[in-house]
Amino acid sequence: MDSGRFGHMTSLAAQHQDTGIPAVKLTSRGDLTGFLMQLTATIGADSYMLVAILHDQDKSDARILASNWIYDAIELAGHQLIANLATSALAVAPGIRPRGIVTAHAPALGSVLSGEEAKLLHVLGHCEIYALKLNVGRQRLFILFSAAVPGQIDIGALMKAQVECCYALSQAPALVAAASMQDPLSDRERECLFWVSEGKTTDEVAVILGVSSNTVNSYITHAIRKFSASNRAMAVATAIRSGII
Amino acid sequence: MTQTAAAKAADVLLGVRRNPFGANVPGSETHPAVTIPDAVRRCRWIAVDINATGFGLFLVSPSMERARLVPCFDSDYPRVSLHTKFVSGSNGEDLVQHTRVSSLPCWWSSDARSASATTLPALDWAGRISPLVPDSSGIAFPVYAERGQCGLVIFYGTDISLPQAQLHEIHARCFALFSAVAVMRPGDSGKVPSISKRELECLKLTANGFTSEDIAKLLKLSVHTANQYLTNTTQKLNAVNRMHAVAKALRMGLIE
Repeated sequence: MDSGRFGHMTSLAAQHQDTGIPAVKLTSRGDLTGFLMQLTATIGADSYMLVAILHDQDKSDARILASNWIYDAIELAGHQLIANLATSALAVAPGIRPRGIVTAHAPALGSVLSGEEAKLLHVLGHCEIYALKLNVGRQRLFILFSAAVPGQIDIGALMKAQVECCYALSQAPALVAAASMQDPLSDRERECLFWVSEGKTTDEVAVILGVSSNTVNSYITHAIRKFSASNRAMAVATAIRSGII
Repeated sequence: MTQTAAAKAADVLLGVRRNPFGANVPGSETHPAVTIPDAVRRCRWIAVDINATGFGLFLVSPSMERARLVPCFDSDYPRVSLHTKFVSGSNGEDLVQHTRVSSLPCWWSSDARSASATTLPALDWAGRISPLVPDSSGIAFPVYAERGQCGLVIFYGTDISLPQAQLHEIHARCFALFSAVAVMRPGDSGKVPSISKRELECLKLTANGFTSEDIAKLLKLSVHTANQYLTNTTQKLNAVNRMHAVAKALRMGLIE
């Protein structure tokens, strides 16, 4: 899937000079680090952290894809705190003006950070943190930028950097897929679950897909088992939450 | 107020609205477009800023079965433009595949002498595709919203002016526009049905895999009451069953 189901785009790029050759091509983790370091410097931030969030029932966990946070900061903060930061209401999609979390004023943001956690981040030099949502195709990632001095990050540049990250990571689907969540469902299972989410009954799905009702039930049972869900409604909810359907 | 002063004031106002990167006014573009006509108007602002003559917003179905783009609205709203008919046909199929895996913009140009034919190839990040509409030029921006929805905002025109420095901003505005559109459903005017706290609670628990019996026990209700709450929500959301109601509520962002 990585080198292009969008085949003619790459092949045309090879033939013509005028095809808008990408600004950077990320092929290794080293390239990714270099790109993020440069971007961090451009917007006036000190640290970055690129994370994927894995949904497990009502809990979420962060998987770090790239970061220049010091080891102790990650250990002390913990993945749960990082997941909370990334998925808080303060994390915005491209095109929406982001708001920073100033860790010195943490009590005002009680729901995102506890006082203790805020103090910890402050001591570790993450005095102002911005959480941004990224899209690499349908894949959702998050990036945190932080600075040691509040107000140091240029918001205009930050919003531009957010889109730039989406672009650069779209150039490196292999890097993203390798480290982030995998879609556990087969094409058929996903289709069945999609139609269930549209309110179709087993019999209706069977007609739509042209298979027997027993087959549909078995696909859905598999999907439920793969998500370790307890019933259909939960399987549908889990699939929507993780952006699979 | 003199005419020039009025023009200047309007310019400031529009400038703020049109330029979220430079704007210092919170909530300028974050203010949601609540109806399709609002969204069309917002899309027209973007089109004007890049000197495009037409535009269209399309949805990519989450179902792999459906390989074509689903039109949402275009510059001829409430009618449907000819461009839209081409794009939502087989011409758009490759773009559907692209949008599912990559956020990079795509452009095409079939008239070498047009201004677009010099502007678009100069863009970093944007890739060339075969023409979506015969004898035209244009650029397509993949966009995504909260609940995994995905789509494309496409601009057409022979004189598109889009400097590299503006590419990110224009794309970001398309993102913001799409997230406003994604919470609407065709046919509803953007109003969220009023669902009570108790009903939402039941729906949330259903989404987390609880049965009516579990919910009744947990919320200290009778099973009948729990079922009644769920039936109410299903009706209010215009859904056909519980699974549908859960899916709709999640996609609309009523529950997390």
